[in-house]
Amino acid sequence: MENFEYFEPKTVQEAVGLLVKYKRAAKLLAGGTDLMLGMKEGFVQPRYLINLKTIKGLDKIAYSKKGGISIGSLTTWTAILSSGAILEHYPILREAASLIGGYQIRNRGTIGGNICHASPSADSAPALMVYGAQCVVSGPRRERVIPIEEIFSGAQKTSLKPGEILTGFRIPTPDPKSKGCYLKFSPRKAMDLPIVGVGALVRTSNGTFEEVKIALGAVAPTPIRARKAERFLVGKPVSDPSIRQAAEEAVNESRPITDLRASREYRLGLVRELTGQAITQSL
Amino acid sequence: MKTSKIRIKVNGEWHELTVPNQKTLLEVIRGDLLLTGTKRICDTGECGSCTVIMDGKAVNSCIVLAVEANGKEINTIEGLSQIGKLHPIQEEFVAKGAIQCGFCTPGMIMTAKAQPGPRDRLRRPLYRGPALSRDRCGLRRGHARGER
Repeated sequence: MENFEYFEPKTVQEAVGLLVKYKRAAKLLAGGTDLMLGMKEGFVQPRYLINLKTIKGLDKIAYSKKGGISIGSLTTWTAILSSGAILEHYPILREAASLIGGYQIRNRGTIGGNICHASPSADSAPALMVYGAQCVVSGPRRERVIPIEEIFSGAQKTSLKPGEILTGFRIPTPDPKSKGCYLKFSPRKAMDLPIVGVGALVRTSNGTFEEVKIALGAVAPTPIRARKAERFLVGKPVSDPSIRQAAEEAVNESRPITDLRASREYRLGLVRELTGQAITQSL
Repeated sequence: MKTSKIRIKVNGEWHELTVPNQKTLLEVIRGDLLLTGTKRICDTGECGSCTVIMDGKAVNSCIVLAVEANGKEINTIEGLSQIGKLHPIQEEFVAKGAIQCGFCTPGMIMTAKAQPGPRDRLRRPLYRGPALSRDRCGLRRGHARGER
């Protein structure tokens, strides 16, 4: 690993100041479970490393029924898995968290780091998307809040502007009548990335789909919402043919690549299968 | 070379060191403190053989910077036995023959040590098996290099 200058800011403003000063030569360090690998391999060689873990309060979870939950970007997977509010109100996020890495990685890795690394296969992205999460972004100007879909701008790219830091997420309380799940397909049962990941959140009433959210991971340059499949299902009867057709719509809006993990065709097949399964399991 | 001064408590004893900023906690434990029970195998945070307990949590010391460990309490495999008496987890590993070559066993034991107790209602169901699996043995990295 190359040598670098190391900073431990105490406030978000201080970290923003360092980012503004050192620009692209600086990197933010959260859990380090992705960044450290890049630095060891030499893909990433920051001259200035800014450790966000020394900023108090960035790892807090706070829940209220009216306002929903706020999760600090430095919250580890272990902390997410230990949260009673997440267990009760956001089980899809909990499921995704439990499938990330191994025990040691979950003790270090953070939800904000996972999103800012912006891998198309980020396990937390589909869960955050179906829950309608908003990202809270601090920077040299005013704090801004953007939908989770808008933070991804490409593979390993975020829409964060120079000097901006993702400080946390706000997620409204889901309708208690809705149900959902996150399904991850990977060759190994643990410590693996998804070949395809599917999140679904569904509300039905009298045998009809009332609200449907579907999000897909690892099938496009960024995690995506399957909006055509969602629109197709709303108002349709809860039946096998409508679920099958929705899965087909999800396949049509996926743009997977062939890489060493799987071929494009295999991924499309998985989208069809997992989308159908995810909707069925969410009933 | 940019360096930092750190203070870490390892197995109950405080150490003060000046480390290059890019040095990992694993390199400090093995190289500076000469506690070589903690092993380096994959060196990418996957295999778990470098697991130590930092402020009560199991972490892969190969992907933790030494500067990040400043002020923290660290427990390694060397601190587990007391006055020549093995820790119950170590005794169980010996009794059940829970090793293959034994090289990565310290990581397994430290991971087991850090697991939440049975009374922790929320966390208990999360443990889905040992941190290390058979296809992650030390030869894996060598295989990968050979294939490249």
